[in-house]
Amino acid sequence: MKFSTLRTFSIAGAALLLASCGNEEPTMPELSFEEALQEQLIQAKAGDVITIPAGVHEITRSLSLNVSGVTIAGAGIDESILSFKNQVQGAEGLLVSANDFVIRDLAIEDTIGDAIKINESSNVQVLRVRTEWTGGPLSTNGAYGIYPVQSNNVLIDEAVAIGASDAGIYVGQSSQIIVRNSRAEYNVAGIEIENSTFADVHDNVTTNNTGGILVFDLPNLPVQGGRNTRVYDNQIFDNNTANFAPEGNIVAGVPAGTGLMIMANDNIEVFGNNFIDNNSANVLIVSYLINELPITDPNYDPFPEAIYIHNNQYTGGGETPDSEPLGLLQAATGQPIPDIVWDGMLSPGKTAADALCFSESAETSFVSLDASNGFAQPSFDAAAHDCALPRLSAISMSLSSQ
Amino acid sequence: MTDLSFRALFLGAYLLLISACTDSSPVFHETERPLRLSDWQLFSVDVSELAPSESSVVFRPNNPLFTDYAHKLRTLWIPQGLQADIIDSEISYPVGTVISKTFYYPRASGTALLKIADSGLQKINLDENQLLETRLLVRKSDGWDAFPYVWNDEQSEAFLRVAGASKPISLSGQDSAEPSNFTYFVPNENQCAGCHTTVHPDGDMHPLGAILSQLNVAVSESELSNSSPLEQMVARGWISDVEDFPRSESWQDPSASLEDRALAYLNMQCGHCHNPQGAADTSGLILDSSQTLAINRGVCKPPVAAGGGAGDLRYAIVPGHPEESILLYRMRSDKPDEMMPELGRSLIHDEGIDLISRWIEEMPGSC
Repeated sequence: MKFSTLRTFSIAGAALLLASCGNEEPTMPELSFEEALQEQLIQAKAGDVITIPAGVHEITRSLSLNVSGVTIAGAGIDESILSFKNQVQGAEGLLVSANDFVIRDLAIEDTIGDAIKINESSNVQVLRVRTEWTGGPLSTNGAYGIYPVQSNNVLIDEAVAIGASDAGIYVGQSSQIIVRNSRAEYNVAGIEIENSTFADVHDNVTTNNTGGILVFDLPNLPVQGGRNTRVYDNQIFDNNTANFAPEGNIVAGVPAGTGLMIMANDNIEVFGNNFIDNNSANVLIVSYLINELPITDPNYDPFPEAIYIHNNQYTGGGETPDSEPLGLLQAATGQPIPDIVWDGMLSPGKTAADALCFSESAETSFVSLDASNGFAQPSFDAAAHDCALPRLSAISMSLSSQ
Repeated sequence: MTDLSFRALFLGAYLLLISACTDSSPVFHETERPLRLSDWQLFSVDVSELAPSESSVVFRPNNPLFTDYAHKLRTLWIPQGLQADIIDSEISYPVGTVISKTFYYPRASGTALLKIADSGLQKINLDENQLLETRLLVRKSDGWDAFPYVWNDEQSEAFLRVAGASKPISLSGQDSAEPSNFTYFVPNENQCAGCHTTVHPDGDMHPLGAILSQLNVAVSESELSNSSPLEQMVARGWISDVEDFPRSESWQDPSASLEDRALAYLNMQCGHCHNPQGAADTSGLILDSSQTLAINRGVCKPPVAAGGGAGDLRYAIVPGHPEESILLYRMRSDKPDEMMPELGRSLIHDEGIDLISRWIEEMPGSC
């Protein structure tokens, strides 16, 4: 028998035998765009660039990536759109747990929960990415737009975040962070750095949020002791959108009209920013105690310390404060709320200068709220804070270009 | 090669294929990723029955996970001649081990499926049941790998669906209430790892059901046979007999205290992510029974990044007040951005809600 004949016979035989199992050969199902994309993400290898073509692509289930060294690249921030308008599964649009990750030039819209969550990853770049809830600021929008957590070496550049019911750009429990050249609008918090260390937040535009930029430290988390963040050269204006965060979330306590809010963080340098018309207060510095929540974490320090504010510009603001104590203050003075507001709460043994130093122009106004004594005797005297602190170092990171 | 040797070869191949149609031993694939479940030879499938290979042990863990009231047929197979070791009080399976879990529902009339208790079938009658998916966990030389296979409508084959799948289901209870209509989701491979990687992100995938404490089923409670899965494994020579195996608490154990049952439930449903090294440690809420500090277990703990999942409530658990507890709010929700667990269910688990609700109701203290 010749080989070719035999092979024909064998194939025929095999087909016959398969048929003898009682079934016709069942056929493979075809994959949708979404399934094919998810399959690509799962089967990716380090060095792969997964492209999202221009157009609106409807996705109904969370996408996820666990492979390190992968780039997801669209054709442009307004060209390649992953629309989750009809999402039926998953708590986020894209969930990433992978090192050396780059996502660029695309948009993620209308996810049911968070838009992009990046968990426990190192060397992360989010470049020219837009996350947006297109129906405007609604409490039913997802919590976070761009959301790296427990990650290191995070660069967010030229991103756009719109409509998050918590924070548009939120970096939590992370270290070595740069958020720059980005725009955050109509979120509860525009940009939030929480329980994180070593961050530079600069050259961003935050407007029409409830609070423009927040730097927070919270108790009972595996990573805490937030410190060493520089907030500089940002445009922080008209962050007066009514707070639409679901109750219970920490940002639900942020007064509408907050420019920059620092809570319980240490070693924060704020300079070169332009604060305009944030109608509760342009800058608000508070201890965690202001939330009147119990603190059961013995390792947690609720007081902000070594906050250094200098060379910023303030225009307007404090006209219609969205906070009871600030409202009472305004009623008492008949004046707008001062540019820089400190709750006045001090860690035992610390001085006012340990908490807050500033070097601003003479016309910059200040109030210490005396919150520990029920706001009884607010003080407008800034003399105790006339001090300077060592400048913080810039964050430098070397990330591969993609 | 002579004609004769060709014929012998062909006859061999013929017998091999024939045997694949009847009972045969499973096959381990180290490098290939078979697109068809049948390539693993875990089951014999004919028009009326799906039957596990007799080389496999069928098991049901002490404390099973809730998956939309689906019934589950689980098998464990270790290649002939190989053994598992007990290392640090846990089973370390040899390369080649294949664990399967087949999800199915009993059929009612028409296309409707039945919501009834899992009776722990050893074989699945295909006239009376509808197969959905078979998930494999395979021990390869570089660790565990997960494979989600989805059954075709004819129930003749299941195909590998790396990206998962979804299927509309209409599930009727035994009462005359309206059926629940929902979408059943088959996880994608990353989602498999989402639960089976309990140390995040650098840990490896590992079994959650085929572990020592879960397989150590009290025989009187075993619905499957007269011996526990662990005893069957010993009898097959897969593990050596060891005294005093640990046994996991079951949330269904009527003799256990309410507290123990509640903790067992949370451990199984939540602990794979909400453990000190898990993917959900970012929340600070730890539900794997490892924590002594009440706030770490959720008592009077404010939410961190729950968004709408907080349900406008202030704390994860408010003692005495299940209706004010975020934990229960998220168990009661079937919205993808609010519900917990995030994966693995589309329906709410009434029995679990009832258990946790009573536990919080009786919990002393206040916030």
